[in-house]
Amino acid sequence: MCGIAGSTRDPGAEDVRAMCATLRHRGPDDEGIHADARSGVSIGARRLAIMDIDGGHQPLSNEDGTVWAAFNGEIYNHRKLREDLRGRGHVFSTNGDTEVLVHLYEEYGEAMVHALEGMFAFALWDERARRLLLARDRFGEKPLFVHEQGGELLFASELSSLLQVRPQLRELDPAAIDAFFVFAYVPGPGTIVPGVRQLPPGHLLSWERDLGCSERSWWSPPRRTLQRRDSLGSIAAEARLLLEESVRTRLVADVPVGVFLSGGVDSTLVASVAAQESSTRLKTFTVGYDVGGVNETERARIVAERLQSEHHEVTLTQADVAERAPLVLSRMDQPLGDRAALPLHALSQFARPRVTVALGGEGADELFGGYPRYRWIERARRVQAALPRPALDSLGWALRRSAGWAPAARASRRLAPTPVLERNLDWVTSERRHRRAALYGPRLAQLDGARVLGDLAECAGDLDGGPAARWLMHLDQRHYLPDDVLVKTDRASMLVSLEIRTAFLHAGLAELAGSLDTSVHLAGAGKALVHEMLPPGLLPDRRGGSYRKTAFRVPAAEWLRGPLAPTLRRQLERGVLYEEGYFDRQAVERLVREHADARCDHSDQLWPLLALGLWADRFHGLELA
Amino acid sequence: MGSSSPRRGGRRPRLLILTPDFPPAPGGIQVVAHRLASGIDDAFETTVVAPASDGAARFDADSGVRTRRVRGGGALRGGRNARLNAVALARGLALRPQVTLSMHIVTSPAAAAIAGATGARTVQYFHAEEIGAKPRLAAFAAERASASIAVSEYTAGLVAATGARARAVHVIGNGTDIPGDPSPLDDVPPTILTVARIEERYKGHDTIVRALPLVLAKVPDAQWVVIGDGSLRPGLEALAASYGVTQAIRFLGAVSDEERNLWLRRARLLAMPSRLPAAGQAGEGFGIVYLEAGAYGKPVVAGNVGGALDAVRDGETGLLVDPTDPLLVAEAITRLLLGRELARALGEAGRSYALAHTWPHVVQRVQGVLLEQLDART
Repeated sequence: MCGIAGSTRDPGAEDVRAMCATLRHRGPDDEGIHADARSGVSIGARRLAIMDIDGGHQPLSNEDGTVWAAFNGEIYNHRKLREDLRGRGHVFSTNGDTEVLVHLYEEYGEAMVHALEGMFAFALWDERARRLLLARDRFGEKPLFVHEQGGELLFASELSSLLQVRPQLRELDPAAIDAFFVFAYVPGPGTIVPGVRQLPPGHLLSWERDLGCSERSWWSPPRRTLQRRDSLGSIAAEARLLLEESVRTRLVADVPVGVFLSGGVDSTLVASVAAQESSTRLKTFTVGYDVGGVNETERARIVAERLQSEHHEVTLTQADVAERAPLVLSRMDQPLGDRAALPLHALSQFARPRVTVALGGEGADELFGGYPRYRWIERARRVQAALPRPALDSLGWALRRSAGWAPAARASRRLAPTPVLERNLDWVTSERRHRRAALYGPRLAQLDGARVLGDLAECAGDLDGGPAARWLMHLDQRHYLPDDVLVKTDRASMLVSLEIRTAFLHAGLAELAGSLDTSVHLAGAGKALVHEMLPPGLLPDRRGGSYRKTAFRVPAAEWLRGPLAPTLRRQLERGVLYEEGYFDRQAVERLVREHADARCDHSDQLWPLLALGLWADRFHGLELA
Repeated sequence: MGSSSPRRGGRRPRLLILTPDFPPAPGGIQVVAHRLASGIDDAFETTVVAPASDGAARFDADSGVRTRRVRGGGALRGGRNARLNAVALARGLALRPQVTLSMHIVTSPAAAAIAGATGARTVQYFHAEEIGAKPRLAAFAAERASASIAVSEYTAGLVAATGARARAVHVIGNGTDIPGDPSPLDDVPPTILTVARIEERYKGHDTIVRALPLVLAKVPDAQWVVIGDGSLRPGLEALAASYGVTQAIRFLGAVSDEERNLWLRRARLLAMPSRLPAAGQAGEGFGIVYLEAGAYGKPVVAGNVGGALDAVRDGETGLLVDPTDPLLVAEAITRLLLGRELARALGEAGRSYALAHTWPHVVQRVQGVLLEQLDART
């Protein structure tokens, strides 16, 4: 876990040095810069020492100093790669994973990325070919922002670093704010500012002075699925082998490693495999709340007892939330409206004195069909296809007549002939796109509201006649996972210099999952393969004996009425969002009032507004908290 | 050992071969069953009981092997095998063979019943995959047989792992035909060939897709020709697209033997990095295609596990590598694509090895086991 930065027009490395300084929280242990004065290219890295603690200084080079690497992430198979490269005559001077990159590059050129199993974003400078290569891992676990102008390239692990040395780019993009309000995250490859973009997951970017930049995809999740002849049990056995390999390699570190255990099926499976693969007693960590009525800590505690792990619990109290929310939400590099960022930050901070690395269950829902909407949207589509048109119209009419009754209104919306993409969008975003007209101020009111949907459709690609769930799972893997889930994971943990390793985001496992028909994933209560992989008797029963997935609920509604109410008020009084006319102050005040009276739950709109507001204030140099 | 076998009344002893897999259906077990049935015909009066399949009548007329085809029974789960066993038992009671050769564990119940009713000896064949899929039936088959034949040491180990008290387990590898014309054809572009049905993930097609970008980095004009079809093919094509290597792959589907042989002459090497599947499955018992490639003078890249250890001699007829590691698979393929001298040397050794393991050699050894049973019976 580190931060990297570089520039193709920085012979003295002044910009790179300044960018690295802003990345200190990502890598508190060390800093290094390599400047090639003749070409003007400089690359730098801040390092959090996890592997080869004493010898892993970056950037580092090959034997003759012609290939240099700055690297953020972990290469889990680096020991195997090192052994192989040594056999082919490569000489290593460190024990870390970064050095593997330069020797692999010597062997395979840019195809070397295919040999890597891990999470990464890196820069390789080939002095002989005068070529800079940037690469990002398959799922987008590690960030990489680039700014291209006049044939020159500037890159960094965080947007803030780029803006530090290019202050003229500090301008909010209204279209990105619009997209943020709809999704509650900034969809890639764009960013919140117009002049900077992200290298997409599974992409390579190559720069040469005379040729400029060229970018290509080197991996994407398989798009075609098929019915397996094998039984669920035999597929699960195969998947379990891959997961065991994944966990085994992710447990390798020269620092203590633990597991984040929520009490749900994904983290329980990861913890059980980690307990099996670990040579020492496993440390597990869980977070709970003092409000909201939903607490998974008891389930996590039972799992921990059954695994005989050294278990730790932290409670994110309301008092803590009041202090933590402004701090975390304003420092996420880009705005992020995922309410789980707060507990994840609290958990990471709590765990950090005890472990430097934690395994997490992120990605399982997207790869293995964990979201109930995959099943419900497919069912709605089938109902629509099966019912005669007049019957559907009559039913819709009757439900609309009862629209005052919430379940009827919900059923009416679900039966409406809405395209799958829009239906899914409304489901995951609590229909925020329909609230825009009422909430937007003059700076956003003139935007083309259809652009968000158009961009989403482009990301989703062709439906090609298959089941809706297949399409939606693919979309989530390319959109929600890299731009929300993994941003939250990276930023929340990095703020406290802890590294989270995702056990499910393993190439072989993802490819196996992607090769299965969605009916395999969605059997039973969904995520059938994960349940099948889980040892029996480990997960506490629920509701009379069978485990049912419930969405991970964070008590954001209660926090917005309680500890965060003053923050919301300050936002409305002086916040950039309202001062600059992005959002309509009166309209949002009305939402806040209704929410405070507990008449309505507007947390689906207020939380993204709070996150965006806190971030935008800091972006503009204000610290209202 | 078999030359002193008793022949009652001057007639050849009767051999009943029971098999769920028989040509013209494609596959390794089908080939073994057919080569044995046609080869052993000199020493035994052989009758085969096998399921009906498209083109079977014409095939049987041409093959000269007395074959009783079993129709129907496919509507219910296990119905096909139940019907096969029922017909096999009836045929056994009518024929009263001296020896029953059960080519697969699914025909072991009929073989056991025939033995019980007539005193016939049973020789049971073991391949691999079926043992992992049905370990209890495999144990039953091994215990009830007078002798067993495993196609590799790996398969013999799988039989032992069932816990069965198996009598006389013989390891007899599979064989190959000698090609009429093995002369190499022009191999531009450099071609990696895989011949296997795309039905089982353990065959390692997916590993080759993952290895291909690394191979292309060193041999940019290389192509991978995939012969065989199956339900996993669309997924494999999607995987190729996700790795951006579609343009370097030719999926030919199922082809005629003639076309397959042409590709064996044209290819630089054969690659099939079969791996051990997860618990409950067994994987590659032998891999006839490795020997077939050798017969054409082609080196192979295979996994260093399972039956390939018997079919390929590492460093002599091919390169055995960790089949789960795309980097190592890529390296082995690249070594053979770029190292023409190495490829030629391994190919020549492969041809010598194949010539020592032709079907007549296999038939002779299996026949020896069968004749031993006749001796034991008397």
